[in-house]
Amino acid sequence: MTSEATNVRRGAERLLPAALPVAAAIGVFGIIYGAAASPVLGPSLTIASSVITFSGAAQFALVALLTAGAAPAGALGAVGMLALRHIPLAAVVRSRLSSGRRTRAALSWFLIDETTGLALSRPDPPERTMAITGALAYGAWVAGTIAGVTGGSAAAGSVGAIEPLAAAVFPVLFIGLAALTASARSDAARAVIAGGASVGLLVIWPEAGALGAIAVAIVVASVVSRR
Amino acid sequence: MSTLTLVLVAAVITIGSRVAALAVLPPPPDALAGVVGRLPAPLFAALAAHSLVGTDGSGPEPAIVVAAVCALAAAARWPSLLITLAAGLGGFGAASLVL
Repeated sequence: MTSEATNVRRGAERLLPAALPVAAAIGVFGIIYGAAASPVLGPSLTIASSVITFSGAAQFALVALLTAGAAPAGALGAVGMLALRHIPLAAVVRSRLSSGRRTRAALSWFLIDETTGLALSRPDPPERTMAITGALAYGAWVAGTIAGVTGGSAAAGSVGAIEPLAAAVFPVLFIGLAALTASARSDAARAVIAGGASVGLLVIWPEAGALGAIAVAIVVASVVSRR
Repeated sequence: MSTLTLVLVAAVITIGSRVAALAVLPPPPDALAGVVGRLPAPLFAALAAHSLVGTDGSGPEPAIVVAAVCALAAAARWPSLLITLAAGLGGFGAASLVL
């Protein structure tokens, strides 16, 4: 085995303890998505949507709006709004990537909150971190969707008991990522301010969602500039 | 518009935005580089708040709040994602048994 292959294998082994709980949680939500979307989109299209989109937020939003009888333009508008979050995610991770445009285009398939955070916070090359954690998350999302479609409400019911555990993974993960990316006291202060302000915004205006929280983070990073 | 077309267009929007953001758009200008450099910690704190509060306004389960508090305490003490995950999920498990 070459030294490069050995490095990749060791890097993958180091990543697994952090990546597997995230992938498992994503898989649980994939099951819930599959069970919820199948009556709306049909089994084949539900699975295809996860294979070709890989975005829980966009897919859940689309199904919810179709169920509510929203017009196609409105549903696609919501998907477009959710897609705006990719701009700040890409901005923060791009400066760490040394690869060319073609590799970045391939990696963009895995541009989600969780892979971005792990790429920023792990000592391994960010390209490798995004590829490994993204592949695990994508596989879990598609497998979960298939299980949800084929198992239907029974599958969703069987994961109901562990859904709160899966839901707990995400705030815990993001708290850890915020702490790891806060290299200075001023970063920690900005994180506390952004977290508190986002809680306030979302309690008052829940519909602001992730985009509202990201907007708060951008405002805090812009305004609170002391190093 | 058929449901198939709708799903396809949604996929194109999502994938297109990812490719554009990471591979097509130019890097942020110097004026914004400082903001981007300061963004990661507040960004993940804001996403933590979003995943904690949720989108339906009902607020989190008490056990999830305990998980977040345990994760915060661990993250403040040990700079390790694995320890933070273990502390948060351990706190969640303990709180689920008690609450």
